[in-house]
Amino acid sequence: MAGDFELTRNITIGQYLPTGSVIHRMDPRLKLLAAALWILSISLCHTYLGNVAGLCVCLALFALARIPLSYGLSGLKPAIPFILILAILQLLFYGNGYGPSGQVYFHWGILRITSASVRVVVVSTLRFVEIIFAVSVLTLSTSITELTHGVEGLLRPLGRMKVPVHAFALIVTIAVRFVPTFAMEMEKMMKAQASRGAEFGTGSWWNIARRTRDVFPLIIPLFNTALVRAEELALAMEARGYVPGQARTAYRRYRAGGRDIVMFLAGMALSAALVFAPFPF
Amino acid sequence: MRTVVAGATSPATAGAAGNANGEWPAEGRRIHSCVAKGSSMKPLIEVNQISFSYGQGPSQSVAAFTDVSLRVYPGEYVAVIGQNGSGKSTLAKHLNGILTPTRGDVWVAGMNTKDASCKQQIRRCVGMVFQSPDNQLVATIVEDDVAFGLENLGVPPGEMQERIDEALEAVGMSEYRHRPPHFLSGGQKQRVAIAGILAMRPDCLVLDEATSMLDSFGRAEILAVVRRLNQQGMAIVTITHHMSEVAEADRVLVMHEGRVALEGTPRELFAHPDQLEALGLDVPEASRVAQQVHARIPAFRRDAISVEEVVAEVDRLAGSGGERRHG
Repeated sequence: MAGDFELTRNITIGQYLPTGSVIHRMDPRLKLLAAALWILSISLCHTYLGNVAGLCVCLALFALARIPLSYGLSGLKPAIPFILILAILQLLFYGNGYGPSGQVYFHWGILRITSASVRVVVVSTLRFVEIIFAVSVLTLSTSITELTHGVEGLLRPLGRMKVPVHAFALIVTIAVRFVPTFAMEMEKMMKAQASRGAEFGTGSWWNIARRTRDVFPLIIPLFNTALVRAEELALAMEARGYVPGQARTAYRRYRAGGRDIVMFLAGMALSAALVFAPFPF
Repeated sequence: MRTVVAGATSPATAGAAGNANGEWPAEGRRIHSCVAKGSSMKPLIEVNQISFSYGQGPSQSVAAFTDVSLRVYPGEYVAVIGQNGSGKSTLAKHLNGILTPTRGDVWVAGMNTKDASCKQQIRRCVGMVFQSPDNQLVATIVEDDVAFGLENLGVPPGEMQERIDEALEAVGMSEYRHRPPHFLSGGQKQRVAIAGILAMRPDCLVLDEATSMLDSFGRAEILAVVRRLNQQGMAIVTITHHMSEVAEADRVLVMHEGRVALEGTPRELFAHPDQLEALGLDVPEASRVAQQVHARIPAFRRDAISVEEVVAEVDRLAGSGGERRHG
């Protein structure tokens, strides 16, 4: 019960694990780009061998970033129900519509399992795991600040087309900045309500309606304080000379060095190999 | 550190000039009765008989304050005190143009706050620190937050590093520069907020109840920083309801129901506790102690206003009795 109130401890946003590895020190813009390319190529790879190779590369990334694999596995845990449900549905129904070709292993009523559907199940499960690992390495090796700066840097060319890139980056930064603040606030409100007899976390996990109802007395005060905070923050920003849409300079500048470019090219080569290499099966 | 805007038309000559005691001279006569430091100095901020009301339309508007005048000179330490709802916070928001008066004008270094083209310049000149330490930090890392104002002013990136270092050093937060703000205490967050303002190199720092949400340690931290900045020549305007903070100021304005009820040095004000009491305010403990001791021992100065002064007074009287301790 007591653990239910410790919200600040469980915040996983920006679960940065500083180990100072080469992956950590990589220019965030190139790192993001490389990660995006890698995830794209995983999504395009549809061979067994290709996905096994992809998984090996993902595991190697953990080693390279000097991050214990347990962090990746704990990221995988909440996704397991989704992966399982998806796998079962695909296994039972995929063969019917899209995979009439190939060998039929099992057929009963509308359920049809074929070699094509087995392939889809295995490949999509592997893809899920690979993508979660890749994203885990990215978020574990990049602080949320670097991540927003990286996104901003990548989107900067859009600024010439009058896309408010900087405003967007600022919104993300402020949102991230206030997550712990609101978590602490929520904790305080839960304690205040609990001390007056409200019950949190006593409903069973499957009783979703009950658990949702439990949260109602927190949502409205939380919204209320959020609006107050927003107003004060806007005043403070204005007092520090912020004018929406005006040209600003940037404190953080990233300059991609030789090593960043080499690592990016290596990432590109791996991504290309995963898509275009002729894996036999 | 201080920049004087060259060629600015002085509001003292342009606008209606009044003295700070709330008495208004007849047309054509000009009296500067309350010039704190050097009478030749131009005021940094000049608030000329302003009124402000919330809401639209005369029928439903609520007056926050009426006919308030105030001058802040370079390097001065001014405190504005009053009960909740006395209009003091609304007044603070006029000093850098966040709000503009319904009637009257506010001049900052010769610029009218109603002039939208000067807004940026005014904000650079008068920095403001707010009440809640959580609601004024925008970035996820301390040094990024200090950079925020500089980015807004368009300071070249090469120059930012030096300014950020200097500002963090001034508030003693250099070692926390890479931390996320939510791991800092309230006092530390507020020091970061001050650093964010200092990096913009303002001439005046306005503290809008900046210590009211802090514990006594946090408050002491902020007061020490502010005192040091003032000694280095920064003008300070502090809005507060803590009488003990008022004792540090050169000059105090007491607001009551939207008007300036009293004005003077802290010593002058604390000499009349009955007057303050009528306005719902209290004299600081040290001053009360001095007055009560004075009632019994007439030799004891009744106008001591700080703990240090009370101690010095006790020391003086004890010393004249021949009993001195040496530490």
